[in-house]
Amino acid sequence: MIEYRNIHKSFDIPVLTGVNMTVETGEMFALFGPSGTGKSVLLKTTIGLIVPDQGDVEIDGLSVYRGPSDALERVRRKVGYVFQHAALFDSLNVFENVSMGIPEEDLARMPRADVVRKVWEALEIVNLEPREILAKLPSELSGGMKKRVGIARAIVGRPEILLWDEPTTGLDPVNTAAVERLIKRLSRELEVTSLVVTHDVEGGLLMCDRVAMLHSGTLLFCGTPQEFRDSPDTVVRAFVDRAAAEAALDMAST
Amino acid sequence: MALPFTSTIFGWLAKVGRAYRITVEHAGALGMLVWDCTKAIVRLRVSFREVLRQMHIMGIQSLPIVFVTASLAGIVTSQQGGYQLISSSPRYVLGTLVVQSVVLELGPLLTAVVLVGRIGARITAELGTMVVSEQIDAFQSLGRDPIAILAAPRIIAGVLTMPLLVGFADVIGIWAGMLMADFDVGLGSETFLYGARLFWHSWDLFYGFSKSVVFGFVIPVISVHMGLRTKGGAAGVGLQTTQAVMFMILTILIVDALFPPLLLQ
Repeated sequence: MIEYRNIHKSFDIPVLTGVNMTVETGEMFALFGPSGTGKSVLLKTTIGLIVPDQGDVEIDGLSVYRGPSDALERVRRKVGYVFQHAALFDSLNVFENVSMGIPEEDLARMPRADVVRKVWEALEIVNLEPREILAKLPSELSGGMKKRVGIARAIVGRPEILLWDEPTTGLDPVNTAAVERLIKRLSRELEVTSLVVTHDVEGGLLMCDRVAMLHSGTLLFCGTPQEFRDSPDTVVRAFVDRAAAEAALDMAST
Repeated sequence: MALPFTSTIFGWLAKVGRAYRITVEHAGALGMLVWDCTKAIVRLRVSFREVLRQMHIMGIQSLPIVFVTASLAGIVTSQQGGYQLISSSPRYVLGTLVVQSVVLELGPLLTAVVLVGRIGARITAELGTMVVSEQIDAFQSLGRDPIAILAAPRIIAGVLTMPLLVGFADVIGIWAGMLMADFDVGLGSETFLYGARLFWHSWDLFYGFSKSVVFGFVIPVISVHMGLRTKGGAAGVGLQTTQAVMFMILTILIVDALFPPLLLQ
């Protein structure tokens, strides 16, 4: 379970102003909101990539910011983070990139054959052909393949929680649908808790058990996808309508 | 009447305050970077292989440009020295002039300036790109320490490589100056070396190498520091790289100016 308690963060101007949110163990949770409302900032506070000015995050009862000195290290071992643009290491090939997802101590004592097997399995799980891409550099991969390698890196260490930062941004509708199916499948097969920050409202509503919406730095809505669709709140309605219009435009343009 | 004057004073004070805040911020962040690197080195978390790779990039790959720069420095010093000394001093003094200039100043300083452009700018741009493409965040999310992986090997490699490069630059600069002295004013190598030995102090070599160690530390520390503070996209990387180069050159010149009163008294 991930609990965000009274999270505040400012970058010259306030971005998050007292966000309280809970993601239950094993659920798929989508976080929506217009650009610049701090969705990615909130996601990054989960594992200390951005430190909140105030408030705390608890993961399975372990306080990230008020817990023991090794809390962040322990939390990071539990969490896999999928970055918006994959964030693959340019100078490392696919094998080296994915193997970085295995915790350092395990990697040091693991026979190389086991490392190769784990990397191989992770790439197969995300529907990539390991034999073809293991030796390739990120610059030799397409956008969709980079995303999948990024996902393989996040899952190779068998995390209990997966954080997805805009996993479908920059992908065409076909790849978007494929990645969304992958997220749903992985969350079920690996039995992980998933928190997905996304612009793709329709995809998020179809994939997730619960959804929330950030607006002006606070949590405006939290509930089931059906409750979100039926919400009488004018801001939520306007957001849903605009997202539907953008999705229709995307479909028409392809 | 007092209002514009007061606002000018306050405006000036605000600028001074801002400059002071920025200086303190940089100093604090540089101190933290050095401290974190020291911790990573002491805890043996730095990859020896990566240090060797960085030494290869900084050292072996810099040899051609250092060779050209040092040769030209030796040639120009010899030509200008010959022009000034030919009618007023014994010609062997040209050997003294070239060797002292190269060992004390030109070798370390020009090699440092070359490395600022070739290595410093590269490190800032590389790390800056890693910041804006979230690769540094990725390292952290995977439980890896970017300081141990990226910063410490570059700093160690800089400190170890720079003296070797300066030694190479010294040899090439003196050799080029000696050839030019023969060609330009007909000063044979024996006379040139006689002049060089006449006023030689072993301390000068220590002085030149001390400078090279400090420059070899300053360049990667500043370039890593600036790279890791990059914000924005491609424009941010460009801006940060330009600022890093200015920062490194200025620091090297200031440090260079501090050496004579500290070590040549």
